[in-house]
Amino acid sequence: MKLQHYLGGLEGLPEPLSLEKRVFVEDWEKRIFGIHVAMMGLSNHLGSALPEYPIADVPTAFRDEWTWASLRTGAEGMNPFDYFKFRYYEKWLGGITQFFIDNGYVTEDEIATRVGESWSAEGGDTAIDDQVIDYLRRGDSPRRDAAHPKFAVGDAVRIADVPAGDHTRLPGYLRDRVGTVTRIFEGDYGYFVHTGDGIGDPMPIYIVEFTPGELWGVRAEPGANTLYAELFEAYLQPAEEIP
Amino acid sequence: MTDQFAYPSDREQASADKVSALERLLIEKGVITSTTVDKVLAYFESEMTPLNGKKIVVKAWTDPDFAARVVGDTPAAIAELELPEGMAGAEGEHLQAVANGPGVHNLVICTLCSCFPWPVLGLPPYWYKDPVFRARAAREPRTVLAEVGVELPDDTEIKVWDSSGHSRWFVIPERPSGTDDFTDEQLMDLVTTESMMGVALAGQA
Repeated sequence: MKLQHYLGGLEGLPEPLSLEKRVFVEDWEKRIFGIHVAMMGLSNHLGSALPEYPIADVPTAFRDEWTWASLRTGAEGMNPFDYFKFRYYEKWLGGITQFFIDNGYVTEDEIATRVGESWSAEGGDTAIDDQVIDYLRRGDSPRRDAAHPKFAVGDAVRIADVPAGDHTRLPGYLRDRVGTVTRIFEGDYGYFVHTGDGIGDPMPIYIVEFTPGELWGVRAEPGANTLYAELFEAYLQPAEEIP
Repeated sequence: MTDQFAYPSDREQASADKVSALERLLIEKGVITSTTVDKVLAYFESEMTPLNGKKIVVKAWTDPDFAARVVGDTPAAIAELELPEGMAGAEGEHLQAVANGPGVHNLVICTLCSCFPWPVLGLPPYWYKDPVFRARAAREPRTVLAEVGVELPDDTEIKVWDSSGHSRWFVIPERPSGTDDFTDEQLMDLVTTESMMGVALAGQA
């Protein structure tokens, strides 16, 4: 069980909130963001993406798959205290550096010997850059086949309480709660990986509406609130099947 | 006590050094080029910025038919506008707008990560990625909104959208009163990233 899967609704956290409106709070954060986007745009799975990127012909030494699922799986697997302690891009820096070490691109020694050295580099094949920008412009839609949804708008559904995987798209606070289907999206939607808790292959996605009372019971905030979640079909069950 | 909660004294310098060494090594080894990261950043600084979202909102404020279309079929409505190429690109593949109106206020959150509509709003500000915001907004949106200056009438329905699927959500805020004679440029100045995710009203600093 991972705290990160159960973040929604966690109580006892600091208040009042103030909004940090900056996107980056340190200049170095921009560099790890750029590296992450480059990895996504060079990921070897993009050859089978809908735009059919010519990824095998791109002259990069990157040869692995890197998607949001990679980054999210790492973040969800973190020590939960570290997850709260470190800023967003500190988590990215840790996870991405470890990925490059674990997969043999760089060694810890190579990093250590370069720390604190100033450098300037020139060169590299700009076809690499072109692929990254092309990915940004054309994306990687998960939409695949025509949908054959099991549920209809208006159906009451109970959210599955599936065994936890390393990675999930099921917010923990929704487990075993009953909601109402308010929308079925056109088409089926895959996910980057098979998470082990039911998603990966293309399937319908629904919007399910929940009342605060159903989600939080007597601890619900008073007032006219409604929560909508976008859920893969694997996470839904008919409401009446569960005693 | 453990040192779990202590930060190293060289926290930022250590990260800056590490990412610098990593980028240099990735260039040397042919993973990326010396210009890749700068080109990615330029893409977000020059083209995929909140200006795109502001234009969409102002079009919705000034064209009721568009306002209906942008909620009904967001990608098709956005494609009508003269915006940079790539509005349906990375993190914009399935954009979905929701509109505030009398008695309805929308709030977009992502409790599992930080899904954000890049082409419309650019990159997410830190508040959106804050685990405290993500945790609290799911359970007590009215309290959270009041804390950041959005005091809503008790009978205003708050619709919270948890981005756990494929869509990337954004909000068409309400047009402030007293702006009937504003130009499009003046109207755009009223629209912020925060108002397009629901933690502020348009025209609210």
